[in-house]
Amino acid sequence: MALCPHCEATLETPLCCMSCQALLETEAALSPFQILNLERGWSVDPHELQQKLLRFTRMVHPDFFVGAEPRERELAERHSAAINAAHTTLSRDTTRADLLLNELGGPSEKDERQMPQAFLMEVIEWNETLEEARAQIKDPATEARLQELDETLKCERVKILTAVGAGLTPLPPSGAAELLEVRRDLNAVRYIDRALTELEVLRLEGAAS
Amino acid sequence: MGYIELTVLNNNVSPLAMGIDLGTTNSLAAVWKDGRPLVIKPEGHSSGSVPSVILLPEQGENTVGHAARAQAIVDPRNTIFSIKRLLGRGLEDVREDLKSLPFPVVEDAAGVLRIQAHGKEYTPEELSAMILMRVHSLCCRSMGGAEIQKAVITVPAYFDDTQRQATRDAARLAGLDVLRIINEPTAASLAYGLDQNAGGNIAVYDLGGGTFDISILSIEDGVFRVLATGGDTRLGGDDFDRTLVDLVLDELKDKLPREELEDPALHLAARLAAEKCKCELSEHPEAELHLTLPQSGAHLRLQVTREEFQERVAALIERTLQGCRRAVSDAGLEPSDIAEVVMVGGSTRIPAVRDAVAAFFGRLPHTELNPDEVVALGAAVQAHILTGGSRDLLLMDVTPLALGLETMGGAVAKVIARNSTVPCQATEGFTTYADNQTGLDFNIVQGERELAEDCRSLGKFKLTGIPPMPAGMARIAVRFHVDADGLLKVTAREESTGVMASIDVEPKHGLTDNQVETMLKESLIYAREDFEKSRSAGLKTEIGGMLLATKKSLAGVRDLLDRETCLDIDEAIEAANKALSSSDGKVLQAARDGLEQATGPLAALLMDRVARSALAGKRLDEV
Repeated sequence: MALCPHCEATLETPLCCMSCQALLETEAALSPFQILNLERGWSVDPHELQQKLLRFTRMVHPDFFVGAEPRERELAERHSAAINAAHTTLSRDTTRADLLLNELGGPSEKDERQMPQAFLMEVIEWNETLEEARAQIKDPATEARLQELDETLKCERVKILTAVGAGLTPLPPSGAAELLEVRRDLNAVRYIDRALTELEVLRLEGAAS
Repeated sequence: MGYIELTVLNNNVSPLAMGIDLGTTNSLAAVWKDGRPLVIKPEGHSSGSVPSVILLPEQGENTVGHAARAQAIVDPRNTIFSIKRLLGRGLEDVREDLKSLPFPVVEDAAGVLRIQAHGKEYTPEELSAMILMRVHSLCCRSMGGAEIQKAVITVPAYFDDTQRQATRDAARLAGLDVLRIINEPTAASLAYGLDQNAGGNIAVYDLGGGTFDISILSIEDGVFRVLATGGDTRLGGDDFDRTLVDLVLDELKDKLPREELEDPALHLAARLAAEKCKCELSEHPEAELHLTLPQSGAHLRLQVTREEFQERVAALIERTLQGCRRAVSDAGLEPSDIAEVVMVGGSTRIPAVRDAVAAFFGRLPHTELNPDEVVALGAAVQAHILTGGSRDLLLMDVTPLALGLETMGGAVAKVIARNSTVPCQATEGFTTYADNQTGLDFNIVQGERELAEDCRSLGKFKLTGIPPMPAGMARIAVRFHVDADGLLKVTAREESTGVMASIDVEPKHGLTDNQVETMLKESLIYAREDFEKSRSAGLKTEIGGMLLATKKSLAGVRDLLDRETCLDIDEAIEAANKALSSSDGKVLQAARDGLEQATGPLAALLMDRVARSALAGKRLDEV
């Protein structure tokens, strides 16, 4: 780990020194894992993540630099934002997987839009159920069907996410071929998330009518 | 008389900054003093709050506060209230609000509202600045003339970027140095000192005069972290009053001629009577709605029961609960996960509101602190933190609404999600759609909807100076940064060439920097006049005090002074008495200095006696 240029203490994060409280200049692109000083990998302990967020924010938050020089105030704003962004990215499973895929040089969301073959039949079926529910929003039976679909989707999400996790544990080497499978699985998880949002909207509309 | 300087241990460190709650109906300042936040009450006042009401007379100075509110009934067209509802808004946004405001409001060509009075026009920023100035000067005066220019100002959590910017501009116009704009419910959570407890999740339910806010926070180790916030910028105590105003108007509908029914004075009288009746209903099961009709002088008396009132406001309360439901779910929690509930805002005194909130969260809410003061108290805590007073506490707040850019076809590309912790930043990529295109137009929007036309446009900007290249080749990164005040800054850059292009953001319903500058310059002229006035007043008080002290002490020691000194003193006293009838600062200053000089030997004599008495073991007050 690098040392603080001011007091030579070992740095916990490239953004600031926990020892002399100095805000440090940084290079443009830091990985969220570097920023929060967490080991790069699929599994992240939510409690540890939260602790790091609070620990580093306590050092760099703009509230503590109100009377400081403009340059320092600017750094505080930027570093705080970077910590918040890193926390958000790492705390959500989909964004964390996306980050790992990109850092490992896997196919991006734009490059690879397909979902796993086995999944496609189910998607067609789910889309039909949603379509029907939209058409028969006032039918009392619709709510029950949506409830059923909600459970199915959530169950399926856990299953595919486990596959994503398995594909990223241990981390495959950069540019590995199996990253393609992981990206396809992740696309499926994102499809399910969109379907779940849509379902929630339909249920609210149903409740309102 | 001359100053006798005795060394007194000075424990009274004056606070460096104040917290100001700029409210729809009342405004209030608080400071950090002796280890806790404190509302400063001017001498002879039972509360420190200033009604957010401004009387704009045809001639002379404007009046802010209690005196203005008292005049409202006499001069409704020129008595401005509820100005916060107009701050940072356009005419379209406030059409509903204007129905209940008796003063004329127009929109200028730039989309900024202007309130008209006696042929003059005022922006909501200027009027809000008048309220801020009044609150600020009262607070400073109550602190013994302390000069506190730094302030933390609160806004409803659900205020959008334009409204926050307008608040900041108002504070600048008032001559304040704004340390931070913070959200009212977040401030309230600080006031209760909930970090002293075990921590956990808390909900702040804030129902003020004009706005409703709900925030869900987690507290851990002194860090107050907002998880989600929601609310309604157009739901508050005023709406509760309106249900009773409607009752009055229904009653009078067939009894009064049309013109009398539309008289703003009647509406104002009804509003004041309704507010009074509402407050009484919080204390008693039944209350009288009583008003004197302004034109005929006849009295209207209606008996209203608490049940009747509750029925009328049930739908309003349900709207607030919907907000609670959504905020709790946004935070990823259930109502039962909330360990403590804090109530803020005068409207939370209404028993039906308390009951509904208690039932929703399944626990009794905190109501120990005065709900009208809790926001200002919290702002004072934050002011203390920001001036370096404490590193033990930290607020991490969120941006209440999603921020994005309009894309081709009118859709919205969300750049920052709602409830993102601030400061936050995100970048969105764009490209050109025609060959050799050198400029690109952007529309920045705030809101949750998918189409730009359903969101609120914060402003448009044009990116220029893109080097000519084939369509789709330019890589334009638009960067959004929401700072700790919750204010948005946008920058854009063409990345393939590294050219940083220029941006001009035109605020839609706000003042431009130039406008604020001009207003500031104008206000400086007034400020000098005001300064002169207050300087003269201060000198007069000082001279008065000096005269009193001189006469008192001179009586005992006159025979110990030489004749010349006595004559000098008598002359100076006479000159000072004469000067008191003048209001010229220079005359007063000369008289004060003359008096000080003439009484110099007297002061020295007294000082000597004090010292000798002290040596003789006497107490100072026995001398």
